[in-house]
Amino acid sequence: MKKLKIGMISFAHMHAASYLHALLPREDVEIVGIADEEEARVSPFTAPNGIRYYKDYMDLLKEPVDAVIICSENSRHAEITKQAAMAGKHVLCEKPLGISEEEMLEMIAVCQSQGVQLMTAFPCRYLTSVVHAKQAIDQGEIGDIVAIKGTNRGTMPQGWFIQQELSGGGAVLDHTVHVVDLMNYFTGSEVEEVYAHVETLFHDVEIDDAGMLHIRYKNGVFAVHDPSWSRTKSFPTWGDVTMEIIGTKGVLTVDAFAQKNDVYSDQVMKAQWSYWGDNMDEGLIDSFVTSIRSQEPVSISGEDGYLSARVALAAYESARTGRPVKLKE
Amino acid sequence: MKVSIIGAGTMGMMYAHNIAKIKGVQPAGVCDVDRERAERAAQLCQTSAYTSLEDLLAQEQPDVVCVCLPTHLHKDIVMTLAAKGIHIICEKPIALNLEDAREMQAACDQHGVRLFIGHVVRFFPNYRDAAQKVKDGVIGEAGVAHLKRFGSFPQGSDGWYHDRAKSGGVIMDLMIHDIDYARAIFGEVESVYAAISRSDQMEYAQVTLKFKNKRIATLSGYWGYPGPFTTEFEIAGEKGIIRFNSNETLSLNVKVQSKDQDLGERVQVPRSPMMYDPYYYELAHFIQCIREGTTPIVSAEDACKAVAIALAAEQSAELGKPVNMEVFS
Repeated sequence: MKKLKIGMISFAHMHAASYLHALLPREDVEIVGIADEEEARVSPFTAPNGIRYYKDYMDLLKEPVDAVIICSENSRHAEITKQAAMAGKHVLCEKPLGISEEEMLEMIAVCQSQGVQLMTAFPCRYLTSVVHAKQAIDQGEIGDIVAIKGTNRGTMPQGWFIQQELSGGGAVLDHTVHVVDLMNYFTGSEVEEVYAHVETLFHDVEIDDAGMLHIRYKNGVFAVHDPSWSRTKSFPTWGDVTMEIIGTKGVLTVDAFAQKNDVYSDQVMKAQWSYWGDNMDEGLIDSFVTSIRSQEPVSISGEDGYLSARVALAAYESARTGRPVKLKE
Repeated sequence: MKVSIIGAGTMGMMYAHNIAKIKGVQPAGVCDVDRERAERAAQLCQTSAYTSLEDLLAQEQPDVVCVCLPTHLHKDIVMTLAAKGIHIICEKPIALNLEDAREMQAACDQHGVRLFIGHVVRFFPNYRDAAQKVKDGVIGEAGVAHLKRFGSFPQGSDGWYHDRAKSGGVIMDLMIHDIDYARAIFGEVESVYAAISRSDQMEYAQVTLKFKNKRIATLSGYWGYPGPFTTEFEIAGEKGIIRFNSNETLSLNVKVQSKDQDLGERVQVPRSPMMYDPYYYELAHFIQCIREGTTPIVSAEDACKAVAIALAAEQSAELGKPVNMEVFS
């Protein structure tokens, strides 16, 4: 079977490097090129791996590429995705899918009309603990889900992440979408209403770095989620993804990065957690590549990306108005 | 100082276990409608058992009475004791509604007796340590707190905990500990949002408190948890994080070899033993406040505010909207 030709567009989001490392060892993939307007950002990845560099992603889209992986600033996801779709390329787009409901719906529509697939990069779906949790829930091990408490607390990223015009939002957008996607996945329902606090409490920045979301699902499940960039320099790791799922017959918890060693080294003079669990990015890339090659529907659609990102957008509206926000049908 | 106990259930036994250890305290009778229970508690602190409060008061002439009755019975007893000029240490919550709580406070003021409410979490060494560290600025300005309290559904005498008209439910009875503690950390609450699920087997609640200083505390409480009694907290600040998990601080774990699998299961109870339990510190502190006329760490006013917040949470859960605390002041 011929190789899947992949182009990577922008390394603005550091996940691109991890996706590249998941692609490189694969024999069913050929990396055609990496496009990034900042050559310095991608030169450590292009030349050493014999990958061609493109300054303008439009030039990369002219190549015979089957699919692209977009890891640009959030504000550019829509434009690049639409261009890629128009060029007939399948798309794996970094989360959040977009920064407004309208642009995300347009991204989905354009990909559909061009007959290309759009997948949202939610690697947490490929955490082994999450895969097993989904099985346990679907098999009814904890009965029906009643409520969920989630956290995706992290260290504050730098650069464009904390510039509103490029990121579209701070911690609440950045760290709501992963866990809400998992909540959507586990409950099999859609969010009906969001009430949220959005604040800047931890850093001297303009953008939000703290929040708390209360979510109500159409099927009656309720949830609370903390997306704050509240991990300090002294904390032993970058952050967490946790979910505590209360069911009618039991409780299931996921602590995604609990598989760690405690490391104490005088080199850094702070405790550190060394994660040794499975690599979720490999699972994500494998799923994307396999789906596209076998012409099967991708496992996490653009719609899925939209359904979680709109919850974060509703959180901002709720915080502005001080009221719960009902999501439009 | 002569100290009596009324109510010899779980809490009364706890008080009986501690009261005789406090310097200068003379146990002065235990009263319970159930003679066996009264005798068991009386024996624990080497005092007499009563089944009538009148008899106890006439015989023992106490200076202080500890009220360890179900919550719905607090008010009548406190009013009676106050009128007789007896100081009162009453279990939390002070009352099931604000009017009763305020009346109790006023009666104690009017008769010149002290009223203390047993918000014992303030006296837990782990919670005290964290509160002190926050106060000392160890984690910089605290921003977001998580507080969790999960346990089995308490049985109590005649299953009074199951009757919301008597116990007030999981927020009023269990989560109120964390409500009070959150106030101790962050100050006055501006608004409350809550969601709750109730069935015969469980009550689970998620409550978020927004403070006047923009800080956020999110609380979860669970009656009917299938695991061991669990408390957890995390307080995240600009310059550090303090966390506690009761399942990770077990200093003693005895494992007994047994051919009988069931027995083996039963005797392996990990523990966190200490010289004194938090109730000792609480009672000793209140006794000292009576003796020296000093202000307690946690006042009846604090107890009233905790009740107000619990009521606001109940109302929020019912309305599905945030509730501003001004309505409850």
